[in-house]
Amino acid sequence: MVIKTDVLVIGAGPAGSTAAKHAASGGAKVLLMDKKSEIGAPKRCAEGVSNGGLESLGIEHNPRWITRELDGVRLIAPDGTNVWLTSDKVDLPEAGCILERKVFDKYMAMDAARAGAEIKIKTLATRMERNDEGFLVDAECMDEKFQIQAKIVIAADGPESRVARWAGLRTAVKPKDMESAAQFEMAGVQMENNKCIEFYFGSVAPGGYAWVFPKGDDIANVGLGILTTITDKSAYEHLLEFVKNCPATQNAQPVELNIGGDPVGGLPKKMATDNLMVVGDAAGQVNPLTGGGIISGMTGGMIAGKVAAEAIEENDFSEKKMKKYEKECRETIGDSINKYLKVKDYMMTLNDDELNSIADVFKDSDFEKVSTGELVKNLVKVSPKALIKLGKLF
Amino acid sequence: MIVKEWCMYCGECAGVCPRNLIEVRELTLKFTEEHCKECSLCIQVCPVKALEQE
Repeated sequence: MVIKTDVLVIGAGPAGSTAAKHAASGGAKVLLMDKKSEIGAPKRCAEGVSNGGLESLGIEHNPRWITRELDGVRLIAPDGTNVWLTSDKVDLPEAGCILERKVFDKYMAMDAARAGAEIKIKTLATRMERNDEGFLVDAECMDEKFQIQAKIVIAADGPESRVARWAGLRTAVKPKDMESAAQFEMAGVQMENNKCIEFYFGSVAPGGYAWVFPKGDDIANVGLGILTTITDKSAYEHLLEFVKNCPATQNAQPVELNIGGDPVGGLPKKMATDNLMVVGDAAGQVNPLTGGGIISGMTGGMIAGKVAAEAIEENDFSEKKMKKYEKECRETIGDSINKYLKVKDYMMTLNDDELNSIADVFKDSDFEKVSTGELVKNLVKVSPKALIKLGKLF
Repeated sequence: MIVKEWCMYCGECAGVCPRNLIEVRELTLKFTEEHCKECSLCIQVCPVKALEQE
């Protein structure tokens, strides 16, 4: 059996569902498939997003998938020095919220369905080959094997990024660019301010950071990301150690364990080819400093979906047409990803002592607003080393 | 490749496999072993040390 479609989106995370929604809204016949039996679960994410990011995507807040509105940020240096960035100290905090991803992801897929996309769950793409009409994709759902003929494939298969590689793109991630992450969702977490997201820096998480993101008064995602190129312990082992030592988790109990990879090496050289575009984690659409990729991935998905609809209307699936996506993507999210890549590289050079001394200056600094960019601007002000490496960028 | 029973099928191994040999399903992991060059990157990145060379 061969199913014919204009656009096949492989992977129904936020980036894939957003691509499907915009392609379908633009008039294309869209099939959205996901290998899992439940879209959005298990989460592989700390679930934080900025409100501005959701707004830029035209998504209104919905209490169904927001667990916590945030009021600020707490940064914790290796020696315990705190930097508080909260609304009582900072005039205009760039607020954000913590999602319930398993509800949010489904909601986004439902949006795609309402726009006209057909959804297949528990359906895995096993291989694909190029032909005159685009791609012929082998798929499996339970005991059923079938093929899908698509004029355009949008690869949204997450950090695995196998689909783009079937089309010849080089989206494999090197271990030095892949954060290995582990997280507990916990109850009984005693946060100093349960409306702040907390970031712990230094040797607690080599090559990354640890976080406590509140989802309720005493509920939080407690996790960390590490680079396995610079530590022998696994992310899970680091997490156990962190939870054992962190004051906030002394009386906390886990109700969920999440693990996964987070590509922090920036965008690949090529994100589009004839009949194919790559979006989301599969295309490294992640802020390399924070590891956050919901908004950037969805932005990539939105652009890809719109270009796909346009391509279908014009009957042009050439690499030249698909490159319109790539160009727009680099303009909207690429520049900022490149900038934060440099900040990440700089942060990687700092040892615990240097982090402590930066925090010591930061704790009494005045910040105009809370955003990653604002923090880096202040970092450049207080650290000569940062000024040399990052001064021109921020 | 030996896949330990505590594997959580997160797919991080598949993302770093330079030869794209790892197929992660919802509850199974399949290696195309005949093309594996034993670079062991998959073992290195696993967040829960669920992979082991045979």
